[in-house]
Amino acid sequence: MRNVAAGSAFLGATRLSNANLIILLSTISTGLILGAIFSLVAVGVTIVYGSIWMPNAANGQFFVLAALFGWTITVSWGIHPAIAAVLVIGLSVPLSYALEFILIRRFYDVPNRNISYFVLSLGITQILAGIFAFTYGRWSDQFQLPPLIGGITFIGPLPVANNRLLVLALALAILAALFALLRFHRYGRGIRAVFQNRDAAALRGVNVKASYSLSFALGNAVIFAGGILFALAYSFDLTVAWTMSITAFAIMIIGGPGSVLGALIVGMVFGFTQAAVSTVASPTIAAFSYLAAMLLILLFKPSGLFAR
Amino acid sequence: MMSIRSQVCAVTWAAALLLSTGIVSAQDKPPVKIGFVTELTGAWSFFGTSCVAGLKFAEKQINPPGKRRIEFVIADDQTSPAQAVAASRSLDVQDKVLALSGPTSSDTGLAVYGYAEQNKVPFVVPVAAFPQLTKPGSRYTFRLEPDAVGWGYAISKFVEKQKPGGTIALIYSDYALMRAITAGLKYQAPLSGLKIVADIAFPQGSNDATVQAAQVLAAAPDYVVVIGAGGFDNTITNQLLDLGIRPNQLIHPFGLTTQVMNWGKRSVGSYYGTFFDSNLDALTADGKSFVEQFVAQYDCPPAYGENFCYVTANVIREVIDKNPEAADDREKFRDGMSALKTKETTSNIPIEFDKNGARKEYIYIMQLTDVVAKSYKAKQTFYTEWDPEVIPVYTLVK
Repeated sequence: MRNVAAGSAFLGATRLSNANLIILLSTISTGLILGAIFSLVAVGVTIVYGSIWMPNAANGQFFVLAALFGWTITVSWGIHPAIAAVLVIGLSVPLSYALEFILIRRFYDVPNRNISYFVLSLGITQILAGIFAFTYGRWSDQFQLPPLIGGITFIGPLPVANNRLLVLALALAILAALFALLRFHRYGRGIRAVFQNRDAAALRGVNVKASYSLSFALGNAVIFAGGILFALAYSFDLTVAWTMSITAFAIMIIGGPGSVLGALIVGMVFGFTQAAVSTVASPTIAAFSYLAAMLLILLFKPSGLFAR
Repeated sequence: MMSIRSQVCAVTWAAALLLSTGIVSAQDKPPVKIGFVTELTGAWSFFGTSCVAGLKFAEKQINPPGKRRIEFVIADDQTSPAQAVAASRSLDVQDKVLALSGPTSSDTGLAVYGYAEQNKVPFVVPVAAFPQLTKPGSRYTFRLEPDAVGWGYAISKFVEKQKPGGTIALIYSDYALMRAITAGLKYQAPLSGLKIVADIAFPQGSNDATVQAAQVLAAAPDYVVVIGAGGFDNTITNQLLDLGIRPNQLIHPFGLTTQVMNWGKRSVGSYYGTFFDSNLDALTADGKSFVEQFVAQYDCPPAYGENFCYVTANVIREVIDKNPEAADDREKFRDGMSALKTKETTSNIPIEFDKNGARKEYIYIMQLTDVVAKSYKAKQTFYTEWDPEVIPVYTLVK
């Protein structure tokens, strides 16, 4: 529901123009920030799915785990949020390798393992959700991290918190680094080769099992990066896990399962769509718009826009 | 003939004997069991555990030696209405509790309400604000928290006093609680001579409000009523402030301790509604002691949720003290609740219920004056009481 009297009686023509410009610029800035974070999470999910065929339903819980770790490190331990961000992303690597060693690798040679993985990740989701509700959920109903930096920058008439600009810059930098890694580095090329055909990759000398482990750790690190950056830009609560999980899956399906480029582009489009639809229609319609878009696209291109 | 001294002695002994017999008799009786169905796990676990924290403080205090013990049998409803009904049934049938209490969510509260009314079990609701919990015809339910539609009514009254003919922007999450508050506000605003210039609802799970904050800014309201759910409440608040809305334009219909702390220093000057606050002018000695003990144990001041659960235990004690036979008879306990005219032990606010079990309602509007490491300061700027049906509460929200 939205009913804004944009032209309030005592707004002069200049202010009204400024007001519309502020709305336009805020739509763009929101689209960029949300899009970058959506892309990060969707790319993380896609890397894992493309490599080991694991539709990781627990991605939302991993996302929140990163945010909660960040909250503990900054608010409870008093450590600077920049250091906290590095620690959280770093922590995802041993956690991922441990999870991969204990659970994930047992399914590598199971036929139709994507179903097994999906059920497994649902189990992980339930366990993590229960742990969060029993611990953090009892301490607070909302969480907020201190900003990376203070101050406001004016983009035209729109004031934007420097903290949000920095979060946007970091998210775009991580996406760019990830893209470069997958495109130009030999490990990245190895991962992409496994994406395309694991038997052929093995014949070309790629260590497929090591590539699986690396993909799982890399994908989760990117999801963790999304989680901590989100927590630095927004207040959050435990329900964000479900929203993010559905969004990431929708992006991956539209982009084409296993397509990193698809996840990146569709993630950005999602961010802008949400911001734009909530401006011209309402936030409620915006929330459903991308799901409607997903159904529409799948109707005409069931394999996704950038399917390999 | 007994001397005067001997007579006094005899009377004293007799009185002591009678009293001790009474004590023994009260202590010998089994404790009065109250079923406390609340949210210890699930999405609402923060509110359930906060409520139990308040209850535990009261439980020690309401059971002094010599009085029949009141025991709260706590059951987790997992923030699930179905589980709340199952727990209520178990407490009723197996534990044979005198009454039910405990929910802090309107959803679980409504589930227990259905069970209680159908099975004629008295139900004392500590913290749940959905109006239909005391809809006309309710007989066994008594609610301590004012209904949410009334909060909206009271905020209109506040703005009317602050700025006659003022304008209001509404920005809120689309949950039942928020819809109820805004329904009351939208009903009362024109009657109070106020104009609503923006009305923006967010679906559940929203993350960002920058664009909507810009729309609110464009509408140039005198006040912005912000009611986000969970972490989104703080996101909306920050984004409004980022865009240049002043703190003293912001009104939050309710403020729990975690919320106020998260709004932080930049929100100093903003207003929030509450039903109990550690900064109230009229805290009683018991209220001050409650706050001090709570801070000592939890390192933060209690808010209205903890207070309502603390007060609930005291209310039950008072009803049983005034009507000892009500301790073993649900109908008499219900009658005792219905006839109750008392005051909150922590703030002296009157407690009495109308024919449907709705409380005579009230709200404080506080203005935030400082936020420090683990506490905050606020000053009381407005207080009002009203009859639950001063506006058509039960038709505005069904």
